[in-house]
Amino acid sequence: MGFLITTLIFAVVGIIASLLVRICCNRTPSTNLLHLTLVITAVVCCWMMWAIVYLAQMKPLIVPILSEGE
Amino acid sequence: MAEGGGGCCPPMDLFRSEPMQLVQLIIPIESAHLTVSYLGDLGLLQFKDLNSDKSPFQRTYATQIKRCGELARKLRFFKEQMSKAGFSPKTSSTRAEINLDDLEVKLGELESELVEMNANSEKLQRSYNELAEYKLVLQKAADFFHAAHSSALELQRESESREADDSLETPLLLDQEISTDPSKQVKLGYLTGLVPREKSMAFERILFRATRGNVFLKQATLENPVTDPISGEKVEKNVFLVFYSGEKAKNKILKICEAFGANRYPFTEDLGRQVQSINEVSARLSELKTTIDAGLLHRGNLLQTIGDQFERWNLVVRKEKSIYHTLNMLSLDVTKKCLVAEGWSPIFATKQIQDALERGAYDSNSQVGAIFQVLHTKESPPTYFRTNKFTTAFQEIVDAYGVAKYQEANPGVYTIVTFPFLFAVMFGDWGHGICLLLATLYFIIREKKLSSQKLGDITEMTFGGRYVILMMSIFSIYTGLIYNEFFSVPLELFGRSAYACRDLSCGDSTTMGLIKVRPTYPFGLDPVWHGTRSELPFLNSLKMKMSILIGVTQMNLGIVISYFNALYFKNSINVWFQFIPQLIFLNSLFGYLSVLIVMKWCTGSQADLYHVMIYMFLSPTDELGENQLFPGQKLVQLVLLFLALVAVPWMLIPKPFLLKKQHEARHQGESYALLETTEESLQVESANDSHGGHGEEFEFSEVFVHQLIHTIEFVLGAVSNTASYLRLWALSLAHSELSSVFYDKVLLLAWGFNNVFILIIGIVVFVFATVGVLLVMETLSAFLHALRLHWVEFQNKFYEGDGYKFQPFSFLVTEEEEE
Repeated sequence: MGFLITTLIFAVVGIIASLLVRICCNRTPSTNLLHLTLVITAVVCCWMMWAIVYLAQMKPLIVPILSEGE
Repeated sequence: MAEGGGGCCPPMDLFRSEPMQLVQLIIPIESAHLTVSYLGDLGLLQFKDLNSDKSPFQRTYATQIKRCGELARKLRFFKEQMSKAGFSPKTSSTRAEINLDDLEVKLGELESELVEMNANSEKLQRSYNELAEYKLVLQKAADFFHAAHSSALELQRESESREADDSLETPLLLDQEISTDPSKQVKLGYLTGLVPREKSMAFERILFRATRGNVFLKQATLENPVTDPISGEKVEKNVFLVFYSGEKAKNKILKICEAFGANRYPFTEDLGRQVQSINEVSARLSELKTTIDAGLLHRGNLLQTIGDQFERWNLVVRKEKSIYHTLNMLSLDVTKKCLVAEGWSPIFATKQIQDALERGAYDSNSQVGAIFQVLHTKESPPTYFRTNKFTTAFQEIVDAYGVAKYQEANPGVYTIVTFPFLFAVMFGDWGHGICLLLATLYFIIREKKLSSQKLGDITEMTFGGRYVILMMSIFSIYTGLIYNEFFSVPLELFGRSAYACRDLSCGDSTTMGLIKVRPTYPFGLDPVWHGTRSELPFLNSLKMKMSILIGVTQMNLGIVISYFNALYFKNSINVWFQFIPQLIFLNSLFGYLSVLIVMKWCTGSQADLYHVMIYMFLSPTDELGENQLFPGQKLVQLVLLFLALVAVPWMLIPKPFLLKKQHEARHQGESYALLETTEESLQVESANDSHGGHGEEFEFSEVFVHQLIHTIEFVLGAVSNTASYLRLWALSLAHSELSSVFYDKVLLLAWGFNNVFILIIGIVVFVFATVGVLLVMETLSAFLHALRLHWVEFQNKFYEGDGYKFQPFSFLVTEEEEE
């Protein structure tokens, strides 16, 4: 799975989560906006974390060198 | 982002504090009490103290407050009595209204009844204790006399027999002595009583000295402690019996007894009367016992009935007290028929407040209704966020730093996600995350039960933050999966490792290392890294860069929020001369660094980013050589450097001048307005007075210095704040290293011994270390660091936090304030 595909999955998860929140806890428009903001922030945070780790391993400058004991 | 507050989207909950208004209520005096009580039920109005110049005693309702205080004292007395008797007040569900006057009468009656009952039972108890002591003395003294008597008889018999045997040999004097002995003994007086055991030695010594040895003291220890009639405490005591001769000695002995707290009891020598008095005492004792028991039962019943009602009464009294306190804040109208109240209320509550006023007037049969009107003021209203049980704890995290200025953008919204996220970056281990999750789920599931009972300080705090911990644990599980750590053990959950040996023999895997043969591990860290020699360099590089990327993103979010603030308060100066140069400055340095980091990862370039960043400042015109990441990098860097340098004076210089110009324009307008109508200008002036700061005096130098400080803070802060985000790296590294140490050096070591006993010890130590160090201490430290990153690095970009909290008059708060 490449970077773009997983990013797409994150986006889809974000959209689904937003819709779920909208459907499950539908309150006043103001509250819905708050929920949407929270979901988007959370998905962005999670995506960022994943993306950083993924990108860092894409073109390795350091490779794993096994310890002597193993 | 669409929380501009208007335009296309509805205003977002929690982002801005509720719009408030200053309202004035004019309440007829006869309906004031009921109205205020209804407002207390509603709990959406913060009364202003209009009598702040008056002392508590000068206020209108001082006597009523005193009455309430007296009632509260009685209730405290009842509570004390109940807790002594071992009753706990029941929580009654009925909430019928009780009249304060009735309650006062009732409580007065109950109190006097209880006091009398206590006095009576105390008296009875005392005489009971005295009798009990007396009985003991009788028994013990009888033993003395009996023993003495028998030994005397024996002696006499012996001497008689001796006399009979060899009367000739016996000296006459001895005979005389013996024969005179009984006659002498008659003259001796004696006293009996009880003395506390620890004093008995001293007692004996003093007696001996005072009478110069002319006493005979006999003591007998009592096995069981005796209840002292005077103090009512259990004391270890000795029964004593003193023989003395002469009236003088008797007086001395009496005084000494008094000084030693020795209770004396009469005693007769006569055997028959002894028996009689013992019987009498026993009979009276049992009689007293039944009386006391009956009294206790009666008292218990009384306390029980009090206990049933106690909570209700307590609530009523506290409510009444708070109502009168509030009424004291209202000012009395000149006609003395109305009370005038001023207070803050959220605009959405207008209808509810009006309803409460109407109901108050109607229910108290008042002829005139209360008047509700909105006042216009320049005073800054209180800050009020409508939070629920989930958002409250997060809002408190923000409020602990400073309460938001009225309608300022609330960082609490983003804190709900970013706070647990940053925590989790430092606490990434999904095993530990699951432990935290289970602990907090326990609190959440038993929420109803736990919130009603009293918890310890620390438990209370944990319970209050249960939803924060819930979010923290969920994010920890996520970041734990990214870091691929389950109690520090990596698992191949998302496919096989991307790395393999170079050749079949795997000979150089410990020298040259493995080689990437498959596409990158799809989710999180490749499990192969764990335990390798190059693990630490790789993780350091990764986590350090991650910290910077996350930090720069969050700081940019902060700056963007400052834009929304400026937009909301229609402050175009802040947009053009604060927001834009700040954004440019931060991003031309650290935004560029972030781009370089990502670019380096994507291209796999060997460029040294430290070198690039440092020489961007030191010698920007030099060739980059092998550190070049993309063509035209030198030009881009020159432009960015130029922008950063321009941004500093851009932030510093124009704003103070523009403020000055603005102020002058306003001032001019004002002086023209003076000529129009006197009344309006007066209002304007008074408004300006209350507005403060920008009003009459405009010290240019002060404003300039202020701006200078701000600019320096931002410029230096950009560097130091970015560096401060490196704590994410440090703490997450410390966490993973600690947990791997516990796993390798405790659990695996114990496993290696192949001994069940050692294994059990190892498991116990591992569990305690994991819970104590990793789950408690590490949670705490990661929490504190996440807190700091939010308070300082994030919030100083936009948050003023100089508001004050909305504290409505509410019975809910009164109820919670218990002790």
